[in-house]
Amino acid sequence: MIRTERVGFSVGQFRLEDVNLEIQAGEYFVLLGPPGSGKSVLLECLCGLNRVHHGRLLIGDRDVTDLEPRMRSVGYVPQDYALFPHWSVERNIACGLRARRASHDDIGRRTATVAEMLGIVHLLKRGIAGLSGGEKQRVALARALAIEPRVLLLDEPVSALDESMRERVCTELRQLQHELNITTIHVSHNLEEAFSVADRGAILQDGQFQQMGPLQELLRRPANEFVARFMRCQNIFTGRSVGPGPGGTTKVAVREAHFLVPGRWEGQVKFTVRPENIALMRADAVPENQLGVAIAMNHGRSVDLGAYVRVELLGPLPLVAHMPHRAFTSLKPNPQTDLLAVVHPESVHVLCEGRK
Amino acid sequence: MFARAAYCSLVFFISSSIVAVLANLMEWNAAVRFFTVAMWISLPLYFVAALLSIDTGTLGWPGRIFTVGTFLFLAAFTAFAFLLVIADALYIDAAAVVEVARSPFIGKALQLSVVTSVATTALALLFAVPMGYALSRYAFPGRVLADTIVDIPIVFPPLVAGLTLLIFFCQTDLGTWIEENLGLEFVFQPKGIVLCQFVVSASFAIRSVKTAFDEVDQRLEKVALTLGYTQWGSFCHVSLPLAGRGVVAGAILTWARAFGIFGPLMIFVGSFRGKTEVLSTTIYLEQSVGNLEVALTVALLLISVAVVALLTIRLVGGRALVKL
Repeated sequence: MIRTERVGFSVGQFRLEDVNLEIQAGEYFVLLGPPGSGKSVLLECLCGLNRVHHGRLLIGDRDVTDLEPRMRSVGYVPQDYALFPHWSVERNIACGLRARRASHDDIGRRTATVAEMLGIVHLLKRGIAGLSGGEKQRVALARALAIEPRVLLLDEPVSALDESMRERVCTELRQLQHELNITTIHVSHNLEEAFSVADRGAILQDGQFQQMGPLQELLRRPANEFVARFMRCQNIFTGRSVGPGPGGTTKVAVREAHFLVPGRWEGQVKFTVRPENIALMRADAVPENQLGVAIAMNHGRSVDLGAYVRVELLGPLPLVAHMPHRAFTSLKPNPQTDLLAVVHPESVHVLCEGRK
Repeated sequence: MFARAAYCSLVFFISSSIVAVLANLMEWNAAVRFFTVAMWISLPLYFVAALLSIDTGTLGWPGRIFTVGTFLFLAAFTAFAFLLVIADALYIDAAAVVEVARSPFIGKALQLSVVTSVATTALALLFAVPMGYALSRYAFPGRVLADTIVDIPIVFPPLVAGLTLLIFFCQTDLGTWIEENLGLEFVFQPKGIVLCQFVVSASFAIRSVKTAFDEVDQRLEKVALTLGYTQWGSFCHVSLPLAGRGVVAGAILTWARAFGIFGPLMIFVGSFRGKTEVLSTTIYLEQSVGNLEVALTVALLLISVAVVALLTIRLVGGRALVKL
C-alpha cells in the first residue's frame, strides 16, 4: 500500500500542494497529467529523491517520509531509463544487489531469474550502448525488480518506444505486475497507455489532483473541464437553464440548441457529452420515441480512425461524434448532408453546476 | 589507400627525424643532410595524404574546402611544434648529451621534477574531485564567486604566483606561523616546489573535473540512490567513473603545467643545485652561463619525459577509472 497525507513540495515556481493519495497493495495505479503537472516530481518524492516539505508518506505500514531512498524498498524506472552506460546489462541488473552487499551466489541467481522473467538473458553480456529502446526498457525494469522492491514506480516507462512496441510492452507490464502482485504507480500522459495497464488512476494539474478514481469514472464522469478535456471529451458546453424538462431533467439552452440535462439545475450549467454517446441519423429518419433531443446538424468532416469514425458536425454549435465504421457507412453522408444528432440525458454529464 | 599512405609517410618522417638527429650526434654531416631532405619531403606528403583520407561524404566542394581550411591550421600548428623540437635536437652535440647523462645534479633535477609534479597532480586531484563535484552539483549563495576564484590562478602570471607565496609565508602572521609552528617550511625548500606547482596548476584540474561532472546525467546518481547505494557509493560507482575522462584530462593538464613550471619556482624556492633544482630551472641555469647545448639537451629530456607520460596517462588513465 502507498499513502500520501497532505504532502507538499515546491521547486522554483512549481508547487505540489496537499497531495492525498491512497493506493491499495497489489494495485496498478496510473498517474495522469500533462507535461509539467508534477507527476514525476510526486514520483521522486515517493522515491525519496525529493524531500517533502510537509505531510507524510507511507509505504506499507512504514512511514518513509524521512527515510533515505535506499531504505524505502522502491523499484524506480525513470524516464529514458537512465541505465549506467559504463556497465554491462548484467552489471546494471545486479548493481542494486551489489550495493546491498548480497552474496555472489544470490546476485547471480537473482540476476538470472529477473533476466529470464523479462526475456533478456541473451543481452546479459552486452553493453548498454547498442540496445534498442525496448531492450533498454526491459533492462531498466529488471534492474528495478532485482532488488525485490515493495512498490514499483514507473516514470513514463514506454514513452521512448514506438507506437507498436508500446501496446505490447504495456500488456507485458500488466501481466508482470499481476504475476508479482506488486503495488505499481505508472506515470503517463497517454490515455491509451493508461487504460491498457491500470484500472484506477488520478489526474494531476499544476501540482494538484483534479480527480482520482476508476479510469472509467474519469472518462464518463469527469469532475471538471480540465479532466474532461484531458479525457478527450471535445463536446463541452456552457448553457443556461430554461426550465424543467421531462423525467427529472432540466432543459438547458446553448445558443439555438436545447439539451436535456439530468437533475434539476438553475442558472448557468456547464456540461459535457462524450462523442461516442451521440447517435447520428439522417435528417429524414424519425427518432425513436424516447427521452432525448435531436439537433439538426450538417456533416462537416469525418476521419476514419480504424476503430471508429470521428465525425465533425456543423450546426447551431459544433459537435464531435464517434461512431462505428459500419454505422457511419450506412448513413452514407456527403459533405453538407443534413443529419440529426440525438443526445440522451444519461449521456450528458454536468461539470459545473448552477444552483440545484 | 590515402590513410595507408599517410601512415607510411608519417612513419618515414619520424624515422628520418630520429636518424637525422642521431647522425648529427655522430657528426655524419652527409647523412644529416640526406635525412633532413627526407623529412622535408615526407612531412608535406603526410599532410596531403592525411587530408585526402578524410571522408567528406556528400558535402561536395564547399565541404572539401571547409575540411582543407580547418586541416591547414592543424597541420601548420603541429608541424611548427614538431619542427621546433627537431631544430633543438639538431643543435645539440654528443658532448652535451654525455655531460647531461653524467651530471649528478641533472639526474637529481629530473628525479625532483618527476616526483614533485606527480605529487602536485595527486594533490590537485584530491582537491579537484570533491571541489568539481560540489561546484557542479550544489546550488549555494556565492557559487558564481567560488567558480570565479577557481579560475584566478589560471590568469595569474606565474611569476606573480611565486611572489605572492613569498609574501604570504614571509610577511604575513599566518604564513610565518605555519612555517614556524607546523613545521611546514616551504620557502627555498623542496616542499615549496609542490606548493608552487599546486597554486599554479590546480585550477586546470578543478575546471576540467567540474566540466566532466556537469556532463554526467544526475538521474543516474538518483537511480543509484534508489537501488541501494549511499551518496558516497553513488559517487564512487557512478559519477566518478563516468567523469573519468575529465579527471584524466585534468590530471594531464595539471601535470603538464606543474612539470614545466619555472617562473614562480625561481622566486619562491630558488634553484639550489641538488636541493630545489628541477629540470626547468636547470635549463635556465645552463643557458645563463652560456651552456646552450646542455640547456637544449635538458629541454629535450624534459619534452621526452612529458610526451611519454602524457601518452601513458591518456591511454591507461581513462580505462582504469571506468573500471571502478
